[in-house]
Amino acid sequence: MICEHCQERQASVTVTQVINGQKSERHYCEVCAKQFHPFNIDFHKEDQIPIHQLVANLFGLPVWNNTQEKTQTTTQKVSQCPKCGFTFRHFLNEGKLGCSQCYETFSKQLPQVLTKIQAGTKHSGKAPGKPSNDHTWIKKQIETTREQLQTAIMEERFEDAAELRDEIKDLERKLEHGGVDTP
Amino acid sequence: MNLEHFLKSEAPGWMDGKGLDGDIVLSTRIRLARNLDGYRFPLSFSEQEAKQVDEVVTQALLNINKDKRIFSHFTIQEMPALQRQVLVEKHLISPLLAKKEKHASVLLSEDETMSVMVNEEDHLRIQCILPGLQLSETYTLANQLDGQLEKHLPYAFNESFGYLTSCPTNVGTGLRASVMMHLPALTMSKQIKAVTQMLARFGMVVRGIYGEGSENIGNIYQISNQVTLGKSEEEIIEDLQNVVVQIIQNERGARQSLLKNSRIVLEDRFNRSLGTLRYARIMTSEEAASCLSNVRLGVDLGIIKDVPLNILNECMILIQPGFVQQYAGTTLQPTERDIFRAKLLREKLNLNSQNSLEKGEERYDV
Repeated sequence: MICEHCQERQASVTVTQVINGQKSERHYCEVCAKQFHPFNIDFHKEDQIPIHQLVANLFGLPVWNNTQEKTQTTTQKVSQCPKCGFTFRHFLNEGKLGCSQCYETFSKQLPQVLTKIQAGTKHSGKAPGKPSNDHTWIKKQIETTREQLQTAIMEERFEDAAELRDEIKDLERKLEHGGVDTP
Repeated sequence: MNLEHFLKSEAPGWMDGKGLDGDIVLSTRIRLARNLDGYRFPLSFSEQEAKQVDEVVTQALLNINKDKRIFSHFTIQEMPALQRQVLVEKHLISPLLAKKEKHASVLLSEDETMSVMVNEEDHLRIQCILPGLQLSETYTLANQLDGQLEKHLPYAFNESFGYLTSCPTNVGTGLRASVMMHLPALTMSKQIKAVTQMLARFGMVVRGIYGEGSENIGNIYQISNQVTLGKSEEEIIEDLQNVVVQIIQNERGARQSLLKNSRIVLEDRFNRSLGTLRYARIMTSEEAASCLSNVRLGVDLGIIKDVPLNILNECMILIQPGFVQQYAGTTLQPTERDIFRAKLLREKLNLNSQNSLEKGEERYDV
């Protein structure tokens, strides 16, 4: 006999189900039977359909089963912080992280949370050991000064232009210095 | 420096001088959240880690100020509850730090403008407070201290997330800049809601005087940046500065139109409040705060002339439960507190009406 569920493998498990006195028999292969684990054990013990299963059947949703539970536990294991033991769920409940390692552990999930509460997901401020002016800020300054330089040249204000040119040089030096500095 | 120094000098350092736009902005505060690499955050660390963090941070701070500023170290758990409360009311420590069960401490500079809380929500909370509107000055002060500390401490930092903090609302710059503002005219003319909504659009929040979750008492609001990631420190400071300047203009405008439309009502209200403060025998902190707010506005508008602003600043701090009990020298029931509070205010406000007229006059520049 072929398994009623996958219609592929040889059926080797017979499941007897009694619902409201009506007896029905189902034949599954070993793989599918495992998925329908509650049919085998829980049903016979309680002789009643668990409510979640009723709902699941009603809406044609996948029945709660072992494989799902297994995948759940494995994903949880993956996203548990090795340093403080926090899981992502734990973080969502608490609203806070347990240690700095958490930021690496949850680096994939965190940006979703951060976009809701922050202006971006990438730090653009200062860093330890660097001058307080961050690169983007200096770059912005250079850009605006360059524009000023262009207008100064157009308007033939050459003394101003010379000053602006020096300013740009200074800023560029700052930028290079800030970049080299990090160990 | 012993703890008595920080408990006794009644008006805190950040209220001493008159700052820029001092009639509306009471103080500017900058807070930097930092954590040390290798230790779990205070939320999940062990008592032993807590002690180690305190040791490392304290050592680093003492190394820095060998020659210059003197920081004094106090362990929270060794302080009686009332003393902790007084420090909270002076804004030198946060309510959260005062409640900590695991090892926590605070390092205070002598003039009370700088403090470092250890093991609050993060390992370090560097805080600088200056009077009036001084955002860039206050930030520079905090940034300097941070720069000195980072040479001695391994900060938890990550290229993409910036400074790592326990709460993702602080991650990135770890910077919270807040400005404490007295906005009675905007409150009276019911424009505060509109201001709050406008601020939300700019990524700013309005809170009460005691920070998160507290209501506004005495028309005092704390306006601060919400966003800490995706913007640089300079951008955060600049944005807040722009917003605050705009609110100051709105408040000034609202004050003038109130004065124009209902001068006698205002005069009545200010003088009644002053009378209440000078003669009442029972005073709750809410009533005291609202009377002080009225008198303050009266002084700002030149209607009340015999009360100096610094006395009002001091009173605002003194009316808080912890200070009232300290003044009484013992712990008190709320009803007893109200009696002592009234006594304290009578002393402060009647004493000064005789000898210092100049300062009130000086403020007549609206």
